[in-house]
Amino acid sequence: MTGDILFISKGSGKAIFITKRDVIIKSYCSLSSTCSFRDRCQSCNIIDTAKSYMMDRTSSFGIKTLDGELSAGIGEYKIGKSILLEVMGLGSCIGVVLFDISTGISGIAHVLLPGASQNGETKYAETAIEKMLEDMIKQGARKSKIASKFAGGAQVFKHMNLEILKIGSRNAISVEETLIKNKIPILAKDVGGEVGRNVIFNPLDGSLIIRYTKGGILWL
Amino acid sequence: MIDLENLSEMELDVLKELGNIGAGHAATALSKLLDKDVNIAVPEVRLGEIKNLSNEFINDIVAGVVIALQDLEENKSGYLYIMFPEASSKQIATNLFGLEEFDEEMYESTIMEVGNILSSSFCDASADFMDVILLPSPPSFAVDVPTAVIDSVVSQMAQKSNHIILFETSLSCDSDIEIYLALLPEPRLLEDITKLMEKL
Repeated sequence: MTGDILFISKGSGKAIFITKRDVIIKSYCSLSSTCSFRDRCQSCNIIDTAKSYMMDRTSSFGIKTLDGELSAGIGEYKIGKSILLEVMGLGSCIGVVLFDISTGISGIAHVLLPGASQNGETKYAETAIEKMLEDMIKQGARKSKIASKFAGGAQVFKHMNLEILKIGSRNAISVEETLIKNKIPILAKDVGGEVGRNVIFNPLDGSLIIRYTKGGILWL
Repeated sequence: MIDLENLSEMELDVLKELGNIGAGHAATALSKLLDKDVNIAVPEVRLGEIKNLSNEFINDIVAGVVIALQDLEENKSGYLYIMFPEASSKQIATNLFGLEEFDEEMYESTIMEVGNILSSSFCDASADFMDVILLPSPPSFAVDVPTAVIDSVVSQMAQKSNHIILFETSLSCDSDIEIYLALLPEPRLLEDITKLMEKL
């Protein structure tokens, strides 16, 4: 095996481990802010479960595997089932997730601009969300079960002399308006602030995981 | 308006030359400022799709300085984006002040000013040698991963095109300072370049 993506849920903690050749190369743990090891996991019941799985591949209680990962580039969206969805390096951009927990079909959009496009370009919030929704329904998701979570729209500039750089909050408003217009419930959001984000979506439990570029992880 | 996707080799070459001259003079300015030898990497011009932009930059936190460029008629010509990896930016501030410690504000305004000096010499050179007038805006400053810093600029450019042209090079001195310099031209700058070529 070259690489597994593990989702482990034990007691009050949840973690995603991305592994390559049985070595953990990335971890997203919901307890990392209170854990003394931070991101350099050494030993706890979560990591021990992961390690024992990698030794003998026998599934034990509280461990599930994902079928891969998909990353949406700027202005793109990606849809998958049991696949870890990602958008990386969000500044003013927003990562919008739509998911139908009953079928597992989920999508993530990397929104760059507020408003709608004249010719179907998915870099615009409204166009991206509506196209992704349509596409998910085509693939078998049920409209009535679809909910959303989103994060991004930061204002990373500390000293700013260009008005045009203030686009993050406009993106966030546009995303929210589109979701309300399409009657999609918003279960969680994390927008604004001054720090960039990497956003991951775990379709197995519907959690949105935000890793701030300057450290810190938030599970929503 | 010029379609970025269909630029000729020749136009890209002229753009590369403009970047070369600009970056060369920025390197001289940095060398004078730090009183050290500065090396300049072989520059590259790439035409890419915006969706793949995050693959173009390093993944570490940088102090990013963004400067908007205008021509004499106040048309947007593009953006200069100067990235100082954290260790390099600290080293530059240390060299300039001869201090090991300084407060955050002092450090930020130092990096902004270095960005300002580099972009001014870039623009001077482009006017002197290529007759392309680029007026730099005051710098904007952010500390984050390169994509997060630049995505608001990219969102401006994305309203017109799905493609982006990136001129990129790096300046380095000793083993501990490395600065990445990128020029993101707007179609206007490419039109100016085309006009310039017609005159030849």
